[in-house]
Amino acid sequence: MQATAAATSFRGFWRKLQRNRMGLVGLVMLVTAVLVALFAGAIAPYDPKDPVPITIDDIYAAPGGEHLLGKDDAGKDVLSNFIYGSRVSLTVGFFASFISIFIGGVIGIVSGFYGGRVENLLMRFTDIMLVIPDLPLAVVLVALTRPRLSNIIFVIGILGWTGTARLVRSQTLAVKQRKFVLRARAVGAGNWHIIRKHIFPLVLPLIVVNTVLVISLAILNESTLSFLGLADPTAVSWGQMLNYAFTRGATSAGAWWALVMPGFGIVWVVLGCTLLGHGLEQVLNPRLESHHLSAAAPITAARTERLARRDLARGPVLLDVRDLSVDFEVPEGLPVHAVENVSFTLREGEVLGLVGESGCGKTTLMLSLMRLLPAAGRILQGEVNYLGKDLLSLSEQEIADMRWKEIAMVFQGAMNALNPVHTVGDQIAEAIVRHQGARSKAELEERISELLDLVGIGPERKDQYPHQYSGGMRQRAMIAMALSCLPKVLIADEPTTALDVMIQAQILELMSKLREQLGLAIIFVTHDLGVVAEMCDSVLVMYGGVTAEYASVDTIYNVPKHPYTQELLKAFPDLSRPSEKLVAIPGYPPRLDVPPPGCRFAPRCPLVFERCNLEQPRVHRLNGDHLASCHLVEPK
Amino acid sequence: MSMDPIISVKGLRKLFPAGGTSFWRSRARFVHAVDEVTFELGRGEVLALVGESGCGKSTLALTLMGLERPTGGQIVYEGQDVTHLSGTGLKELRRHIQMIFQDPYESLNPMMTIGEIVAEPLAVHRLASNADTRAQRVQQALEDAGLRPAQAFLGRYPHELSGGQRQRVVIASALVLEPIVLLADEPVSMLDVSIRAEILNVLVELRQKRGISILFITHDLSTAAYFADRIAVMYLGRVVEIGPTEQVLKRPRHPYTKALLSVVPVPNPRLRRERIILQGETPNPIDLPSGCRFHPRCPLAEARCREVDPAFVIVGDEHKAACLLLSQDAERAEFVV
Repeated sequence: MQATAAATSFRGFWRKLQRNRMGLVGLVMLVTAVLVALFAGAIAPYDPKDPVPITIDDIYAAPGGEHLLGKDDAGKDVLSNFIYGSRVSLTVGFFASFISIFIGGVIGIVSGFYGGRVENLLMRFTDIMLVIPDLPLAVVLVALTRPRLSNIIFVIGILGWTGTARLVRSQTLAVKQRKFVLRARAVGAGNWHIIRKHIFPLVLPLIVVNTVLVISLAILNESTLSFLGLADPTAVSWGQMLNYAFTRGATSAGAWWALVMPGFGIVWVVLGCTLLGHGLEQVLNPRLESHHLSAAAPITAARTERLARRDLARGPVLLDVRDLSVDFEVPEGLPVHAVENVSFTLREGEVLGLVGESGCGKTTLMLSLMRLLPAAGRILQGEVNYLGKDLLSLSEQEIADMRWKEIAMVFQGAMNALNPVHTVGDQIAEAIVRHQGARSKAELEERISELLDLVGIGPERKDQYPHQYSGGMRQRAMIAMALSCLPKVLIADEPTTALDVMIQAQILELMSKLREQLGLAIIFVTHDLGVVAEMCDSVLVMYGGVTAEYASVDTIYNVPKHPYTQELLKAFPDLSRPSEKLVAIPGYPPRLDVPPPGCRFAPRCPLVFERCNLEQPRVHRLNGDHLASCHLVEPK
Repeated sequence: MSMDPIISVKGLRKLFPAGGTSFWRSRARFVHAVDEVTFELGRGEVLALVGESGCGKSTLALTLMGLERPTGGQIVYEGQDVTHLSGTGLKELRRHIQMIFQDPYESLNPMMTIGEIVAEPLAVHRLASNADTRAQRVQQALEDAGLRPAQAFLGRYPHELSGGQRQRVVIASALVLEPIVLLADEPVSMLDVSIRAEILNVLVELRQKRGISILFITHDLSTAAYFADRIAVMYLGRVVEIGPTEQVLKRPRHPYTKALLSVVPVPNPRLRRERIILQGETPNPIDLPSGCRFHPRCPLAEARCREVDPAFVIVGDEHKAACLLLSQDAERAEFVV
């Protein structure tokens, strides 16, 4: 079982590497070089060690005939020398890099893991080694120890580990911070166990990538040393071929073949290593793949019929969303139906709660209102009417003008996204200038003070930097920024999730105040049913991308009709009724790329019956504004 | 309720140096993460330690686990002073006290299978060296944590599991050593609502089946109220109120507890309560306020609160709170114990 799991992960890695063209080319280049070296005896037409009788014509004989690449100064076949030379160069490259990686890896892990004095000592030593120029030192060491192949390998090896040590140390530091290391310690594991089981396996991918690059460096160093004449005369490498050709008059004889071939070999291997190294890095570090926020592609499918008109009894409708559906395209996979047929309205001064578990499409729905979906997102159908204008049919420029001035959004976790090198005041100014054009400096300053005052931050703090603000203050600053162009609708995505209850209470109080003072309509995205009950007028419960239930807050909490809403309320602890037993909803939310054939909640629903697994329920209107999508509430 | 403590903590302190002495500053400064904390955890009891971030509740747990060295005070486990244990003694203690961490996404090594993760504590302690016994204990732990059938999970990797399942793996790897005490640090705060109840119910079941004592560390009073026998409220490194859950909820005595309870959102739109919203933020734990550490934010603070650091006053059966205004009440013999 374990073996198969490991095999699958290796297969996954291999599949990814195959798709990475750069890595694949590098791998092929390197493998060819290794094969040539291994089978030198079989490929090479001559053995360079065999003595050959030479005449004056044999010296630097031009390519042709039996000697495809001509002869060198001793009348030997250049192609054979080149093939056998790969053995020496690659041997030095591989063994020297193993020495470097071993020393660097041990020093990196030990200093990163133990820290303190050990780290100080080892890293200062590494710094000193890094500052001393490698080559002169290598020249001295090789000269002192006699240029034998083993000595050369050793000298190159012990001089090439500094980069690895620094790299491995920083990776070790990062892994050491992770919670599973703390957990292993809590279990009682010792240092050796933690290094072996938890640190090393996570540092290993980095070491593998680094090894490939160190091999190429070692080969370059060997060539340089050989070129300077510090080489084992019994084992002729590519570097040495260059040295011989240079010192023995190949240039004056015009024998380019004696120079080009070894140079080509070195370039081939170094290039192969570099390409493979970059390829491996991309495969092993998925974060190098990018993910952008950008405009969603235009609507592809036809519009659907409008739902019956809502009553306009309470205040003017600002936002009217109808049958909105959003898909995410997945390379080599089925599209993910992130949002399907969702409708709701938002009136002036209304607070709408958008509730659901993570991955149920809440954030996607909000981003599509502002047409800020990631590149893979596609609005399939629907309408987003804002004061009579369909936002989905506006041009890119027109929607850009609407954002922030009409509808603004406080993104999830945004309070951690303030730029640390600009003052909070400057960042608010930036938002104002970008959306309303330049104003006079004094007017701008006054507006910033007004905004900060509005959200409860003393205007004297506008020249402070984000790190001088606490979490709650940063969230207030984000709200000030969202309000900078006086929008009518504010979308707040989990605005209090990471905050303490007391700070949460402060932010909620602020939002209620803003709604009263400015008539602001707020869409409050959250999974906290307590916050919704205290803040909202109406609630949209989403499940697996569809509307489960949509009604006034009182209806949702007191006469919920959808089984998901009912179950969710039973699973949520209520401080006012602490003895109530909490009932979990078994299972977990559906995968949106292969949703269940019928109702999306059917696999977890306590009231499921046959029809639920076959047919997806429509959104039924129960009375007035109460919507629910469940076969059990279907009007007769 | 007569208390048979399994762990008692007396005057526990943990200070972290906050920049040493320097040319400009002759006195060393410290973060008072845990400052004179005293409480007992009863056998088979669930005690919730509630407080806002930075109040020292997580540091307290790490200190109890021996992952941080206490600066002062005493930790007694089963009548034995374990405050300064190290090496073998500490390792032995960890067989009895296990910890569940907050983040199920971060606390599992992504390169290990579920089977390896749950077996790891056994290997560390060189228990169940026989492969069959080991497999059996791993299976038992997984099933006790609600991962059934265990066989289906052994060879899988953490990324193949949902958040709730991962947290169950974390629980299983703590259970495999058959601990007597569990320290659960925010075990459900990262999970979705529909899954939280399931993890809480696993813990409730464990307490009933195995008689495990649980110190439940959380910022969420609602879950604490659901799950705990007693609640201890922490503020700035100190326990300010401790008592049976029902009493603390119905009759909170410390002004901080009252405020905290009043702002917890309740999923009932018809219930409109008066909320006591404390303005400002918790002061920084380096320069503690003089006297009562809550006085700068306390709506009831008087002049003497700035001078006198209040001690615990008994305000009910097993119910104590540290507030000067209460000691006056006590003098009036309003709460005779």
